[in-house]
Amino acid sequence: MQNRFITWMLVFLLAGLAHAQDDKEKFKARYESLPADSNFDPHDLSGIWTLTKNDHSLGTPAPPLTPAGVAAMAGRIVDKAGVIGNAPWYTCNPMGFPRLLNDDEPMEFIVLKDRVLQLFQWEHRIRVLWTDGRELPSGQNLENLGPAWYGHSVGEWQGNTLVLNTVGLEERAWLDNQAHPKSFHARIEETWKRVDSNTLELQLTLYDPEYYTAPYVGSKKIYKRMPKDAATYFGWYGLFAGITEGICAPMNEVDGYNKGFRDPGQAKR
Amino acid sequence: MRRISILLFGLSIVVTPLYAHHGRGATYDMKKRVTLKGSVSRVDWRNPHVVIFMDVKDETGKVVTWGFENAGVSQLAQEGYNRNTLKIGQEITAIVNPAVNGAPTAIVVKVILADGSEIMSRERGQNPID
Repeated sequence: MQNRFITWMLVFLLAGLAHAQDDKEKFKARYESLPADSNFDPHDLSGIWTLTKNDHSLGTPAPPLTPAGVAAMAGRIVDKAGVIGNAPWYTCNPMGFPRLLNDDEPMEFIVLKDRVLQLFQWEHRIRVLWTDGRELPSGQNLENLGPAWYGHSVGEWQGNTLVLNTVGLEERAWLDNQAHPKSFHARIEETWKRVDSNTLELQLTLYDPEYYTAPYVGSKKIYKRMPKDAATYFGWYGLFAGITEGICAPMNEVDGYNKGFRDPGQAKR
Repeated sequence: MRRISILLFGLSIVVTPLYAHHGRGATYDMKKRVTLKGSVSRVDWRNPHVVIFMDVKDETGKVVTWGFENAGVSQLAQEGYNRNTLKIGQEITAIVNPAVNGAPTAIVVKVILADGSEIMSRERGQNPID
């Protein structure tokens, strides 16, 4: 009996490993055909990029939460077997920063003189990352500005690394698929480095002493440049090439998919 | 022996990925496959997941409308599929993982056309679970 149990566990384990590998490689077709170019400007991040790994989190275990952090997670339901969670984006609320950054769909950098624009295919979203030397909003100004789903961001080049800082984040947006919180007074530091012509490295650190007992240091994430043909659909090139737009329309997602298709097949919620 | 069992069980939970990018939960019995034969009655070619409906006759001759979901629009588009790949009234065979609760909803494994060709196949990586 015990041997049979162990056999089944091994089968389950190996199947999980195989699937996890598939999952990890699922974006590979988007970028693998692009040849390398040794002559590149490390400050030019422009282009359409895709994550190499499917991971909707910061990629590392979260530090222990403070009591306030635990309270902030109350009522959040994470997906598990047979149960649909209540992630805000399931009903077309914004994923917010940094969750959108860790999503599946491609992202485009547009580098301007005084700011860097980051466009996201999913949500058809834009982040404005100011590089004009301004300070982050703080104190009463930040309190008056209030929370924003994607916060307020400034950046500067430190050598060949673009260092971004974001504050004023909306607390109702989950940090990740595990429903981790982040407080309005948190700061997220984000570093981008173009390590070769087709590769960007990203690293995030959440500084949030209200909700976490230590800084939450994320893993290094890799983005690969998408060749033009991988972002061309039926002759139409671009991140928002019509058919690929990722606008979350409640008519589609809530009324169409959730109520019209998904929910009848659910065992329970 | 018991410790090994617990360790393996724990590891199996850790490495089994969560599917739900858009709240799919664990709707489907991924170990079970059902073969549906019938005609396409509706194509919802939109995000978050493309859903195709088809009319299938059950053993008593009664027509049941099944719906099966696919990947999102961009993923299917990257494989060359579009909203005209399947047309209303077209006869198809769909191999699917059905809903756990017995509802006529499912997630597709592959679609087989009248000429025997297979399209939108998860087995070939064309229709990933996202």
